[in-house]
Amino acid sequence: MSENVTRRGVLKTLAGIVGGIMAMPAARTCKAAVQNGLASSHAPPGYDPFQHKWLMALDVDRCIGCGMCVEACCQENSVPEGHWRTWIERYVITKPKPGSGETRGETVVDSPDGGRKGFGAELVPKEDILKSFFVPKLCNLCENSPCTQVCPVGATFEAPDGAVLVDKNYCIGCGFCVQACPYGCRFFNPETRTADKCNLCYHRITKGLKPACVEICPSQARIFGDLKNPVPDDPLQKFISSNKVEALKKFLGTGPRVAYAGLDEEVR
Amino acid sequence: MSRLFKLPPQLIRLVLLTMGILCFYFTARYFLTPPSFGQYGHYRGNAMQEIAARQPLWAGKASCLECHAAHAQKLAKGEHKDLSCETCHGPGRIHVENPAAKLPKLDVSLCVRCHQESPSRPKWLHQINVHNHYTGSVCTECHVPHQPNEVP
Repeated sequence: MSENVTRRGVLKTLAGIVGGIMAMPAARTCKAAVQNGLASSHAPPGYDPFQHKWLMALDVDRCIGCGMCVEACCQENSVPEGHWRTWIERYVITKPKPGSGETRGETVVDSPDGGRKGFGAELVPKEDILKSFFVPKLCNLCENSPCTQVCPVGATFEAPDGAVLVDKNYCIGCGFCVQACPYGCRFFNPETRTADKCNLCYHRITKGLKPACVEICPSQARIFGDLKNPVPDDPLQKFISSNKVEALKKFLGTGPRVAYAGLDEEVR
Repeated sequence: MSRLFKLPPQLIRLVLLTMGILCFYFTARYFLTPPSFGQYGHYRGNAMQEIAARQPLWAGKASCLECHAAHAQKLAKGEHKDLSCETCHGPGRIHVENPAAKLPKLDVSLCVRCHQESPSRPKWLHQINVHNHYTGSVCTECHVPHQPNEVP
C-alpha cells in the first residue's frame, strides 16, 4: 500500500477535502432554500413547553351528562360530524336477577352522538336500574403512548408539556395511530385527511386559557391544571389530594395520566 | 489497492451501486428533512407553534368580566356561581372582538339540558321533570338564571 502514496495523490485528496469544506456553506444555503419552500416556520409565541406539565382530571360524580363539553370541543376544534375528540359515555348497570346471588346485572353503555346533544331517556326501564352515571372520555395523555410509537413519519408526538399532538402538515394519514390507541381517542379526520385527536386545546392553553371543555363544563367535572406551575388554591392539586384517583386501563402499561375520581369497576 | 481490483467486476459494480444509492439517500434526507425536525425529539419542533397559532372560539370567563362585572357579581351570589358565562350564552370571541355582534337569545332547552330529571344524574343536582314541573315554556317566569335561588 505504502508505495502507492505519491505527492500527487496526497495533494488531490487534500484538494478534495478543502473543496468539500468550502462547498458546505453553499450546500447549507441550498438546503435552507429547499426547506423553506417545503415548510413554513412560525415564530414561537413566547411559550416554553419545558416550563409546563398539563393534566386533566375528571370527577365522575360531578358529571351531569349535559354534553356541553362535547359541543364546545366540536365547535372549538371544527370536529366533523360523527367524530369526537372528547365524548361522554352513559353507564347503566341493571339490578341482578332475584335469587342470582350477583351484586349487579348487565352493564349497558351508550353515547348517542358522543353526548353532543345531551342524553335522552335510559335504554333500560327506570325500575330495573341499579345505578347509572356518566363518564367523560378524552385523550389519556399517556407517558408511553402507543399512538406516537407506531407513527412511521414522526407526525405525532408527546410534547414536553405533556400534550400528545398531531402535526397535520406532516401526517400521511396511514391510520396506524387510530388503531394503536387502546382508548379509542383518535379518529381519521375526513376533512384534513389526517389523524385527529384531543390536543388539550393546545392553541388555548398556550395562550393562558383553559381547554374548551373545561371552560364550558357547568359542574366542575373537568379539572385542568399545570403541575409545574400550581396557582394559589390550585383546583387540580385540591382534586388530587381530596379524591382517590385512578387512571383507565393502567394494566396496558401505556402510562395514562388523566386522573379519574369515582370510577366504577365497569368503566373501561 | 491492487488486490481490491482483483475482485470480480460484478462485485465491484454491486459495491458502487450500493454506495450510489446510499449517497442519494443521505443527500435527499439532508435536503428534505424539515428544519426543526429533531429539535426536541423525533418530530417537527415547529409543529407545536403551528398548532398553538390557531385562534380560540370560546373567549373565557375573564374576557366577559372585563365589561360585564356587574352581572358577574350577581352570578357569584347564586348556585350558578361556578358556571362560565359561555356555558349558557355560547362562544363569545366574536362578541369580545366586536361588541356590536350580539350573542344569541337563550331558550328553555338550555335549562332542561342540565336540569331534566334522569336516574343517571348525580343526586346533588336540582332536577325537574319538565312534563309535570311546569307546562309553560319560559323558565324565567319563576327563576332568575343568574341567581337561581331568587324569585323575580
